[in-house]
Amino acid sequence: MKVEGKHQIDAPRTRVYEALINPEVLQRTIPGCERLEKTGEDTYAATIRAGVGAIKGVFNGTVKLQDLRAPEHFRMVVEGKGSPGFLKGSGDLDLEDAGEGTTVNYTGDVQVGGTIASVGQRMIQSTVKMMASQFFTALTTEAKTETSEPPPKHGFFRTALRWFSGWLKGLFGR
Amino acid sequence: MIAAQFDYKVPKSLNEAVSLLAADPDGSKILAGGHSLIPAMKLRLAQPQVLIDIARLKDLAYIREDGSQILIGATTTHYEIESSELLKQICPLLPACAASIGDVQVRNKGTIGGSIAHSDPAGDWPAAALALHAQLVLVGPNGERTVSADDFFIDLLTTDLQPGEILREIRIARPSGKFGQAYQKVPHPASGFAVVGVAVHLTLKADGSCEAASVGVTGVAAKAYRATDTEAALVNSTLDEAALDSAASQVCTGVDANEDLFASADYRCHLAKVHTRRAIVSAKANAA
Repeated sequence: MKVEGKHQIDAPRTRVYEALINPEVLQRTIPGCERLEKTGEDTYAATIRAGVGAIKGVFNGTVKLQDLRAPEHFRMVVEGKGSPGFLKGSGDLDLEDAGEGTTVNYTGDVQVGGTIASVGQRMIQSTVKMMASQFFTALTTEAKTETSEPPPKHGFFRTALRWFSGWLKGLFGR
Repeated sequence: MIAAQFDYKVPKSLNEAVSLLAADPDGSKILAGGHSLIPAMKLRLAQPQVLIDIARLKDLAYIREDGSQILIGATTTHYEIESSELLKQICPLLPACAASIGDVQVRNKGTIGGSIAHSDPAGDWPAAALALHAQLVLVGPNGERTVSADDFFIDLLTTDLQPGEILREIRIARPSGKFGQAYQKVPHPASGFAVVGVAVHLTLKADGSCEAASVGVTGVAAKAYRATDTEAALVNSTLDEAALDSAASQVCTGVDANEDLFASADYRCHLAKVHTRRAIVSAKANAA
């Protein structure tokens, strides 16, 4: 099944790219992701509890990132197996500048098999769309909070230290 | 296949059902007719820890007229609605919609509340609930609240029903004035689910032109929706050929249509347009 779409993210392209390939961010943004561990160079093991409404399943699998060309492109290869069936797919993500923000274009091919494919076929596409939209909404929040973060903490400490040492010098230099 | 192990509880009242549900809102599921939940459990796509069976709460199954409102209890079966003489007279869209669901066995067991709460993208009731501006009464640990159908259906199998809440009643304003209704459906040949389903409610002025229109569409997108552009094209028109064409052609405007092995997105939208037109034509004819 072909999956494609486009999402607008209100953050600069480099930041969006960093978030998209950062396993910690991905664990927080992939809907139902319970575990994402690095197992090799750009390779991760994942446990995802995916589902909508009453229908739920746990998938275990691997995620591989390929063709990394920051900040414009990468390819994601996913393979997973779980109680309701299996899924295998790959997708290309392309990032474009769009004014202040970024447009993420994704296109891919997903194969789903097992029980979920035989009885849930009519809902697979909607489920994928729904999860993609949840993912990008969460990612937008992540990318935005990073921009509005206060300046790095060491800056504050350095300023405080400088002020303190100046005060000490003043005290003893007298 | 056989379902995974689960606990089964039969509350004696709705209040008891709410408190049983409160014990483990995420691990429990409410069982009514079971015609969506049980197949999913047998395939182990759903594995609730506890089933709380409300189908036996007889005081939740009723069809009543209360002043200007029609009240339908959540565990009222499709067949009870299909065969209701009262509804055939005052709101024929409901029996027509019920009659189109699945087969006799499904209609004897399946409930209107279960169907609406499950919010299957191809379920028939959500389309009718939207077209009739239904109000849904939900009861939870903090009491009752009422949500309009427009706000209730959120996404694929996702509704405004919070963990711990149970759909108790469906309220519909009793249609008044000169009105006509129709439900048009293309059933999937194997499952009977709506590939496309269109529910139409029209209110006509004395001269026969359209005063108000509401159109609920199911099967096309991830959730049932109101075709607001179609409605706008009908209101104040004389429902002539040009108005019908324009209204029907806008039924998929701005909608991300489903695609599966049976029907591509384009084919679905084509079906939706054809059947929206037919539904409007028969609603108009029924108003006469």
